[in-house]
Amino acid sequence: MLCKNCGKNIATTHIKHTIGGKTEELHLCANCAAELGITAFQSFDISDLWGSLFGDNTAKVQARTNEARCEGCNLTFSEIAKSGKAGCPQCYARFYDKLLPSLQRIHGKSQHVGKIPGPAGEKAMKANHIKSLKEELAAAVKDQNFERAAELRDEINTLEKGDPSNE
Amino acid sequence: MSKWYINAGPDNDVAISVRIRLARNIAGFPFPIRLDIAQKRRINELVRDAVINDKDMNTDNYRYIEMDQLTTAEAYAMVERHIISPDFAENREGRALLLLNDESVSIMLNEEDHIRLQVMTPGLSLHEAYEMADKIDGILDKKIQCAFDEKLGYLTQCPTNLGTGMRASIMLHLPALEACGAVNQLSTTVSKIGLTLRGTFGEGSQAKGAMYQLSNQVTLGISEQAAIENLKSITEQVMEKERNARQSFLLREVLEDKVWRAYGVLKNARLLSGEEFMDLISAVRLGVCLSILNHIKLETVNELIATAGAANLQTRAGETLEPTVRDRQRAEYIREKL
Repeated sequence: MLCKNCGKNIATTHIKHTIGGKTEELHLCANCAAELGITAFQSFDISDLWGSLFGDNTAKVQARTNEARCEGCNLTFSEIAKSGKAGCPQCYARFYDKLLPSLQRIHGKSQHVGKIPGPAGEKAMKANHIKSLKEELAAAVKDQNFERAAELRDEINTLEKGDPSNE
Repeated sequence: MSKWYINAGPDNDVAISVRIRLARNIAGFPFPIRLDIAQKRRINELVRDAVINDKDMNTDNYRYIEMDQLTTAEAYAMVERHIISPDFAENREGRALLLLNDESVSIMLNEEDHIRLQVMTPGLSLHEAYEMADKIDGILDKKIQCAFDEKLGYLTQCPTNLGTGMRASIMLHLPALEACGAVNQLSTTVSKIGLTLRGTFGEGSQAKGAMYQLSNQVTLGISEQAAIENLKSITEQVMEKERNARQSFLLREVLEDKVWRAYGVLKNARLLSGEEFMDLISAVRLGVCLSILNHIKLETVNELIATAGAANLQTRAGETLEPTVRDRQRAEYIREKL
């Protein structure tokens, strides 16, 4: 949808207001919304959510001069927390411990089980897949969901048979 | 080469199309937002050369486009056809695109991540789309070292994409569920199981013509296959609900009347705004799926949805059009196609 004010840009701000029982809808692009002073509605994005995930308001703490920096991009943890975006791939290794609780909250888990790049990727991927199936199997047995457990056991057996090196 | 969206796909009555997106970054470079133009160009060239020189890639069928060479209308025409993101069209400097001629594969360079690979297929064809994306990802993997961590998977600028870096989404046509007010509830329900229901153009957009995107939200701790299976099984349940709701429209006569009226307006209108068009074509699409309008092909409807947007009209006209002129041209274009 294009902006109703300038008709040029894609509308990103959508506002509904009711005055005297009459409802009107406004669809504006970022520029026009800013010009009309409707900036407050735009700032609610992932960076706010991400920032607020740090319970102690870390995001609001200004970068201290002696704060540790990422060797790859020179960002501090506070700066990353404030924007909700990493600066470079190295940030994740540098601030792993500090980021972990938030990652856990976003995804519910913190161990990758999907595709792995590179020549060794396929084998490692399969091992990971079997590992996660085994965890699921243990959980199914614990919940006494034996139907699911049997399915998982068969799947694990098939996968393990497919590759002799995988005992 | 005819465009992918013209073809019909499985379960096309409800599932319009499928999109698989993989986010990848090149090890040793900061994320695009922290790169200067020269570094961005370097990334563009690295990826272009990796792809173009590969024997497994049908490179004759790909176009390499430097985004700053396009006009605003041309770029937004691509947004309307879901090839690129709105931000990629808005800020074009230092960005490039590799595009398959049928537009089913697009590789955005220097979007939020260095590489955003996207595959689109018609209907509910998640596995086909993923296989294609996986194949191209494999080709990139041979030449490019991706930023990857054993624990966190593919490293992406936004932590919400860590892990597989994969977002799988299905564009669903849900006019019946929308009419009976079930969409909000559906949206709340799917959010509890790691999926999101969004508007037509993804994050922050509103649904047009009852078209919604259902996609996976979680990317870390779940394999690509498991994420796709989850999405597929939920989609199948949503499709069944939509189909049931379509059948149980209280008065068939009222529904038929609505469909025929929409068809009548599309076929005869002299001025059509984008919004009115989407409402009407949505009703016509429903009519085609329910065999009320037997003489129109679903493929024609799909094509119109992809190509009747403001930016596509302007690109075909080769000039900027005033809104009234645009609405007139849109009406002409639709009369011609129907």
